[in-house]
Order: sequence, then C-alpha cells, then structure tokens
Amino acid sequence: MRQPLTRPVDVASQCKAPVEPCVVPAYGYRRVSFLSCLYSLEEALPGLLAMFFIAICSNNLMGVPNPFTLENLFTYLDNVIGPVNGQPFFQIMNSNFVWNALLLGLIVGNAFGVPDCWKRGLSYIHKLMPLGIIMLGPHFVLSHAAKAGLGPIALAAAMLLVTASLTLWLSRLLKVDDRQASVIAGGLVTGDPHACVILMPMIKAKGGQVVNASIGVILFGAVASLVAPWLVRHLDISAQGAGLALALGIGNGAQAVSAGFDAGYEAGRYAGYYGIVRHVLMPAGFLYVFAVMFWRKLRHSHDASVQATRGVESVPLYLYVFAVVWALANIHLFKEPAHHAIFNLVKWDFSLAAAALGLSLPLREIWVWGLRGLALTSLVGTIRLLAVLAVVWACLKNGWLVL
Amino acid sequence: MNPHPHTTDKTGFDYMANSGREEQDRDAVGIVLALGLMGLLTLCQYLGLY
Repeated sequence: MRQPLTRPVDVASQCKAPVEPCVVPAYGYRRVSFLSCLYSLEEALPGLLAMFFIAICSNNLMGVPNPFTLENLFTYLDNVIGPVNGQPFFQIMNSNFVWNALLLGLIVGNAFGVPDCWKRGLSYIHKLMPLGIIMLGPHFVLSHAAKAGLGPIALAAAMLLVTASLTLWLSRLLKVDDRQASVIAGGLVTGDPHACVILMPMIKAKGGQVVNASIGVILFGAVASLVAPWLVRHLDISAQGAGLALALGIGNGAQAVSAGFDAGYEAGRYAGYYGIVRHVLMPAGFLYVFAVMFWRKLRHSHDASVQATRGVESVPLYLYVFAVVWALANIHLFKEPAHHAIFNLVKWDFSLAAAALGLSLPLREIWVWGLRGLALTSLVGTIRLLAVLAVVWACLKNGWLVL
Repeated sequence: MNPHPHTTDKTGFDYMANSGREEQDRDAVGIVLALGLMGLLTLCQYLGLY
C-alpha cells in the first residue's frame, strides 16, 4: 500500500496560538531520491529570494553591480573614520562577507520576523554549508607559507595545537558549553571567526553560540591588538620577530597587522607577511577541533553533558571530500584564475548561508550564552599571546630562530 | 517546548533542524554541487577558456 504523502500530527498544544491542527510533512514520507531535500520550487523560492536579496545587499558579489551594500557602507565609514594604524576600522572589527550578511539577516529577522513561506528555502543553509566548506579547499595552499621558513611554520602549528587543546581543557573549568568552547577554539586557533561558522555543522553548535563565540573572538582580538604593541615595545626583539609574534599571538589578519603597524612600520609589514602561515594552516585548526570533540563524544557517548558533535554518527562525507580537495590544491591542481572564480562562489555561498543564519536568531539567543565564552576567549587568548611572545623572544635570544 | 518563532513554521518544519536522512541528502546535494562547480571552473581553466 502506498504511503501517504503527509503524516497528520496535531501539534496544536505546542503552538502558541493554534487555530487549527497543523500538518507536519515528514521528510521520510515525501522522499523519492536525495534530491527531495530541494523541495518544490514553489516551496523553496521565497526563502531563496530572501537569502539572495540579503546577500546582494550585504556584499559586493561577483556578477551583481549593486552599489548599495553594507560592505560599501562600511568602506565609506572607514574613509570617514580614517585608518587605525593603516588598517580600515571595519576590517579590524572583522567585517567580511560572512558577518555582513549575518548582520543584515539579524536586523531583518529581528525587525520584521521570518515569514513561514521563507523557511523551506532558508533550509538550503544546510546544503550551502558543506558546499562552501568543500569549495574553501583550494584557498589553502601550504606552499604559500614555504617562503616564511620551517621555524615559523612549526611555531604556527604548535601554537594551533596548544591553543585548541588549552581552550577545550579550560572550558571545562569555566563550565562553558562544549559546543561553544569548540567554536571558540576554532575561532582562536585559526585567528579567523569564519572558522566559527565552518565548525557549526560539524559540532552541531547552536547559531546563538556561534555568534556569541565570534563576537568574543573579535572583541578580544581588537583589545589584544591595542595591548600587544605595548608588550612588543618592551621586548628587545627585531621587527621581523615582532611581526611573527603578533601574527601568531593575535591571530586575526587585520588585527595583527594593525598591532604590527602600531609597534612599527616594519613590524606591521612582517605581521602581514607571516599572516599567510597562520592562514594556510586554518583547515588543520578546525579539523583538529572536530576530531578531538568527535573522539570525546565517542568515548563519553552516555554523558549528557557532552553535546559537541552529538548527532554526528560518523565523520561527515563532505570533510573527506574537503580533505581530498585541500590535497589537490596543494599539488596546484587549481590554477590561479580558477581559484579566484571558485573563491568568488565561496563568497556567494557563505553570504547566502550567513543570511539564513542571521534570520534564524532572535537577539536573546545570542546573549543567553552569556559572558563565559568571552571569559574563556580572553583567558586563552592572553595566555597564547604571552606564550608566543615569550617563545619568539627565547628563540631569537638563543639563536634558534634567525629573524 | 514552544516552537522556535524564527525558524519553525506552522506545520512544525524547523529550517535550522538538520538530522537523519534529510541531513545526509542535504550533504549529498552540497557535495555534488561543490564538485560540479569546481570541476567546471577548473576544466574551463585547463581548456583555456579564461
């Protein structure tokens, strides 16, 4: 006998103001092939258009000559404010294609709500995330860091592993939810709050945790970029050493460069130069965090306090595909124009996904995770900054690193 | 528990929920699209179409 297409379920008692019994179209009942998750055009189009218009009003995306974007507004404001240590203020605050769209989505969702007819289309976020993660692969070419030398690369790798492990360990002492701690670890070790969003589907973190964690990482980085130059000036290290220490100790590219230029012109140039070392190792950072948390969940599968990767039964297939693409990128399969074209699609992809994420979040879901995340970020970030400065200073003094 | 106002529609569909067979299918669509797009762009490069 043929299964009914919909399964009637009375969820009137669950709805705030029910007027009639609701009908839940269970996915299993309507599934014909894996393409069934695309839904019909009629169902998906309103949400897709919502994402599209938020994305093109947020960022200057390839193929869309729209001058009225949040990105252009921030650029205008940057010119009004003037550079901070040679860096645009909104770059230091990590304005980019993810956060612009997320911010506009938050504003739209909180000001006007999210109509029901958008929701099937907005669920495309779950297709856009693996799509974007895989297409990021060609962006990280290890040989780009080779010119920096083995010493700085080894130092960056060690910093990455130690920071991630320290974050995950201290999160238990500070009683930070393990999903949020994982996201913070990803943001800190990669130095890029993009990684917080990338980790969201792997860790099964809540959207509010991701945004809360990212705000903490950005705020700490901004404060660190003000304090670090003062520390560097009190250490007797070369401008090149200072640039390396700031690139690895602060993490985020624009914040590290800003701190570098505050310490001195050459230190600023070197902070940008060594930023690429941190950048190409970024996938190792979020893969390490996922691996640690997934292994932990397998070991403590009956522990209710272990939430990170809960619901992830095996390593997601798209991570294997990402690893293969990353490996192919490192043998230079993706030549430069193709790489640029792929990265332009990544911008499209994450702009659309971030719009859906922003729409999903009432502001209280960001604040409800409180300040523990910021405390953890500040503690680990401070330890990392001091440790990196100490290690670079010791290496230079003892001649283990010639910079 | 009340339905999430921003993500759940009146039928109970929550667009941020992602699990089970539907999650696998969504991942599969993402993977197919990613490989298709990257393959196409890379092929264009190797065929000298840029």
